[in-house]
Amino acid sequence: MKRISKKMLLALGLVGPLLLAHANAEEQKAKTIAELVARYDSSSCVDCHMKEYDEWNKSLHARSIFGPLEVGRTAATFITTIENGLKEWPHSGVKTREDVGVKHLMVCAKCHLPQLQDAEDSVAREIVQNLYAFAEDPEDEEIKDTLLSLNINCLVCHNRNAITHKWTEGYPDVKTVYGSKTGPHDDPAYPTMKASTIMGESILCGQCHGLGPNFELDNPTQCATLYGSHLFAYIPDGGKHTCQECHMRKSGLGHDMQAYRSPEMVKMALDVEVEANAFQWRDVNTMTPAAHLLVEITNKAGHAIPDG
Amino acid sequence: MALYVTAKTLDNKVFYTNEKIYMPIPQQLGRGQKMGRGPYEKSGLIHDSALPPRKTTKESFMIPVYTESEEEGKLIRTQIAQDFVVEVEIWYLPYGKKDDPGNAQKWFSVTKNLHLPADEK
Repeated sequence: MKRISKKMLLALGLVGPLLLAHANAEEQKAKTIAELVARYDSSSCVDCHMKEYDEWNKSLHARSIFGPLEVGRTAATFITTIENGLKEWPHSGVKTREDVGVKHLMVCAKCHLPQLQDAEDSVAREIVQNLYAFAEDPEDEEIKDTLLSLNINCLVCHNRNAITHKWTEGYPDVKTVYGSKTGPHDDPAYPTMKASTIMGESILCGQCHGLGPNFELDNPTQCATLYGSHLFAYIPDGGKHTCQECHMRKSGLGHDMQAYRSPEMVKMALDVEVEANAFQWRDVNTMTPAAHLLVEITNKAGHAIPDG
Repeated sequence: MALYVTAKTLDNKVFYTNEKIYMPIPQQLGRGQKMGRGPYEKSGLIHDSALPPRKTTKESFMIPVYTESEEEGKLIRTQIAQDFVVEVEIWYLPYGKKDDPGNAQKWFSVTKNLHLPADEK
């Protein structure tokens, strides 16, 4: 634990007095950001899974509502969604930023913060306040840290989203972590581990990385279409690999699941062949000096490049 | 994603450029022929030129290495250079522009040195 800074702890959700057990998730909804962060507190995972934590911390999952780099591009897109979408649509019920509730933020949070479903509208309003406050003062580290504390952490994939077919397998147990093994788990908050049926399957990632329009929303949005491309183009053409095989194992990136910014992924994504020659093309007495260039780009990924 | 082709003389004068764009064009709110820009208004696709998985996309470029003029009603073609280079770059441009540090990524580049035989009739 010595390696963990205060900022890291905040990102992981260790927020002291406001700590609530994840076990309460079904009993009552979080009323504040701090409560929601505490409910998905993954800080105890770090004790034994430091390598995975370090990898995850470099990934966009660790900054899912803030975004890459320091500029907070994803946070800015939340604001654009409110200003150019929600406030413009006559039937959204949003006239001012204070009107934004959970159901409104879910147009982004479905994937960027799925656990927001476990929160009351007061949390949505607090998030919106912080988004605008960061836009007004990007140097404010406290606000930035608050936004960074809301993320796709261990418990989102290894608990909340670990079971897709809940009528078949039951709902995720709040005291269980889902991974590759079944047995006791050395963590008082999560004393049981269970082998997940989908942890190595593309459908786990497909929950967020997109089929197309999200029809379950009152006003469907569309961010990623990768899973759709994987299902309807890659698989029919004979593709055999899962998301995890390429983005975690073959890349060597583990829980630092990356995409177009990663040299490892770029190397795996495309083969490019370029051939060129120059010549004098002759039409009777007219000489035409020219060159021909042939570029062949092979997409080796399990989906179209790019998607969207 | 974009493929850029640039032909230059050895003293760096550009005499040919071309580009191909690879991207899905999302439909605005699932209707009509207008592209939706933000995720909140994207639904469906109007057109898709993205690189499909497990497929090879071939692009062919014929690069003229001459300028044209007319003298006494006769077409004259003047060779630009005997030696020149063709640069090929592939960029991943999530926001559509190269000048976007941290977001725009150059995925591939190669320079081909080419030589033309002399224009001897």
